[in-house]
Amino acid sequence: MSQHLSSQEISQWMIGERTPQQEQHVRQCSECGAELARLQAALALFRGSVRHCSGRQSRSEPSDIASILSVRRGPRIQPMRWALAAAALLVLAAVPIYRNAQDRQRQAEIARADTLLLEQVDAEVSRAVPRPMEPLVKLVSWDFSSTIQNEEIR
Amino acid sequence: MIAAVERSASEIDDLDTLVHLYWTRVFRFALASLRDPDAAGSVAQDCFLRAYRSREQFRGDCSIQSWLMRIAVNLIRDYARNRRLQFWKRASASAVDLEAVSQWIPDDDASPESRAMAREQLAAVWKAAGGLSERQRTVFLLRFVEDMDLLEIAAATGMKEGTVKLHLFRALQAVRERIGRSQ
Repeated sequence: MSQHLSSQEISQWMIGERTPQQEQHVRQCSECGAELARLQAALALFRGSVRHCSGRQSRSEPSDIASILSVRRGPRIQPMRWALAAAALLVLAAVPIYRNAQDRQRQAEIARADTLLLEQVDAEVSRAVPRPMEPLVKLVSWDFSSTIQNEEIR
Repeated sequence: MIAAVERSASEIDDLDTLVHLYWTRVFRFALASLRDPDAAGSVAQDCFLRAYRSREQFRGDCSIQSWLMRIAVNLIRDYARNRRLQFWKRASASAVDLEAVSQWIPDDDASPESRAMAREQLAAVWKAAGGLSERQRTVFLLRFVEDMDLLEIAAATGMKEGTVKLHLFRALQAVRERIGRSQ
């Protein structure tokens, strides 16, 4: 391989994709070797810079561990909180159901009383004469059909 | 294999050890992704808390680091989306001073010219990383800052290995282009 590495081949080289021919060429070609070395040096500088920056900015571990540990205790308390919240919700949900049942019972009682009253009214209305006049009806009874026949003869 | 999984599971059970072993990496990745130390601290804490709470779901099919990074990647994505801030595109408003971090050059013995050139390259990489898409930046940081291999990155991001390669390739092309422009 006599040609220099292309831009794409240099990037592929850095990823680790290289052929034996390319490796041989880089060993012999100072230009390609220098290009790869320059890129590797820039990336190494970047790595060092990030690590240096991170080292300066990093919080002290113990306090971070402590804060994580304090949060870690959370899950043990969390189920209790959820249980209490669920219980409160159940109570709140049960109140309308209880009230609804009471209302229904009351309405049923009212309906029963209404039915009874209506039956009594029906019984009163279905009488031929009012109850105080019933003894008179028994005393003065006439044959209604014969009276009509007599009227027709006349 | 079973012993390794059991050892991993026991490591996760011990939150103190987990934090002690992996805090630096998770915080560093979050900081490099968000460029905000407060946000990075919150993300790192949430990451360990989530890992601890869902430790029973860890089946040992990837390393603890990959598993933690996967949680961190999701948290960082959610955080950035929820806040609707594009940290990397607002260098001036970010907590991490881009100019200051670009000045960091470890080799004091180098000539002033070499140091100036290195500073330019470093600034170019920082700027290029800021211009990458979310996925490209994630795989770029995991590969070149956290030194994770492609399979680990695939496990951490939930992408296929080929997709990781593609994002990494594009990220590198963008970085190389920026470095080339800086010279």
